[in-house]
Amino acid sequence: MLQRYWFGDVDEEGCRGAGTDPAALAGRAAELRTGMESYVPIGWEAARDCGVVRTREEYVDLLRSVCTVLARQKIARAYQGRDVELLQMVRMLDELDNVINLLSERAAEWYQVTNPSFSRKYRSLPAKKMLAIVRKGARGGLSDVSDEIERLSGARSRLMREVSARADEVMPNTSALIGGLVAARLLSRAGGLATLARMPGSTIQVLGSERALFSHLRGGTPPPKHGIIFQHRRVHNAPKDVRGRVARVLAAKLAIAARLDYYRGEAVPEFLEGAQARIDEAGVEA
Amino acid sequence: MIWLGNMLVSPGEGGVYGERTLDGYRVWDPYRSKLAALYTLGGGVELTPEIRVLYLGAANGTTVSHVADYVETVYAVEFAPRPMQDLLEVARRRRNIVPIMADAGRPDEYAPFMEGVDLVYQDVAQPNQVEIALKNIVFLKPGGHLILMLKTRSVDVRQDPAEVLAGARAGLERHLDVADVRWLDPYHHDHAAIVCTLRE
Repeated sequence: MLQRYWFGDVDEEGCRGAGTDPAALAGRAAELRTGMESYVPIGWEAARDCGVVRTREEYVDLLRSVCTVLARQKIARAYQGRDVELLQMVRMLDELDNVINLLSERAAEWYQVTNPSFSRKYRSLPAKKMLAIVRKGARGGLSDVSDEIERLSGARSRLMREVSARADEVMPNTSALIGGLVAARLLSRAGGLATLARMPGSTIQVLGSERALFSHLRGGTPPPKHGIIFQHRRVHNAPKDVRGRVARVLAAKLAIAARLDYYRGEAVPEFLEGAQARIDEAGVEA
Repeated sequence: MIWLGNMLVSPGEGGVYGERTLDGYRVWDPYRSKLAALYTLGGGVELTPEIRVLYLGAANGTTVSHVADYVETVYAVEFAPRPMQDLLEVARRRRNIVPIMADAGRPDEYAPFMEGVDLVYQDVAQPNQVEIALKNIVFLKPGGHLILMLKTRSVDVRQDPAEVLAGARAGLERHLDVADVRWLDPYHHDHAAIVCTLRE
């Protein structure tokens, strides 16, 4: 019975070594498929008898080299997908939002103690707008910091446009239905386009509302109607009593769109047309 | 195992993940490593210089590096690319670690690289942890051990951890002798260690 190992083939008649070059061995090993029914782990001595190595140290060293080459190739392949970088981009974008909000709030607090007559009451002044005032009025450290926050906001806006553009390219169908930014956030939560494409609509519907979902599953609380997809206007602008239906229909179409994006990688107008109509229809009150 | 007072340590080159060193030994923190927790709680399988280990779910190679300090060879299997990058770096500096990028649930992917091992250690966040373990006992030598770190929350968040453990134990007992079962509190919550022996 022929058994194939990383260093060569072994059967009743003996062993044929496959050489000692790690790259060549890795290339050969990448093709190996083992039937586990007849598999027996082999001792390193077999490789010695094969003439591939002389000692146990050599065996482990060569095996490590081969496995390292293989792992490097697999890592490179995993990072090749266009979605991998998009994932990091959108996560950076969301983190920037957090940081900018935190810093702006802090700068606003600081500014208020330097200007005793200033109050935000009765003026709709989000921290973002407040930043302009702070930059005009502040001096020293506060002024430096608020300039930096402003620059960070600029970087954030540019990154947002990049994320949108990349999402349109990597996931054209999903982006067409829900917008590049939200599509990218779905991708980020799922962990990759391959994973997203394998999710059922019901999972996509509640991606991002895991807390509410698990508290529901543990018992008691009502189930969440929407997670990240709530950020899309078609869901949050829908009248409350049909919002759940819009979320459900949209999620179902997104599941199909993600599969088209993953397996076909191009926009499919026939699908998009029907899907858009169906989602709009769900938003009409009965 | 090497103890300094009541602190578990391992011999080897330090600086793998910023671990403390004491008298030239690397401190193996039970709060960070589930295997260290198992030893600290008085369980586990003695790691000796002649044994070979198959480590499933090697992650960034933190615990792997400590195991490698004790044993002859560690076959470290990890699936995700990001931690694999770190594991490769650990393996580059420790000559007895064989880094394998593969899915622990698909032993046929790495079977051509394996030899018989004395210990299979598994720490994977998958719902079918027991099934994965049973697929991998083919690599165990007769009388060899399996240490399964059961992440009950990965199996089913809705189920009571004690029930998850009972189910896992029953699944393992069909093929192995269960020697020891214990929870890893206070170091790790909702994690249990199951130590099994392969029937001769």
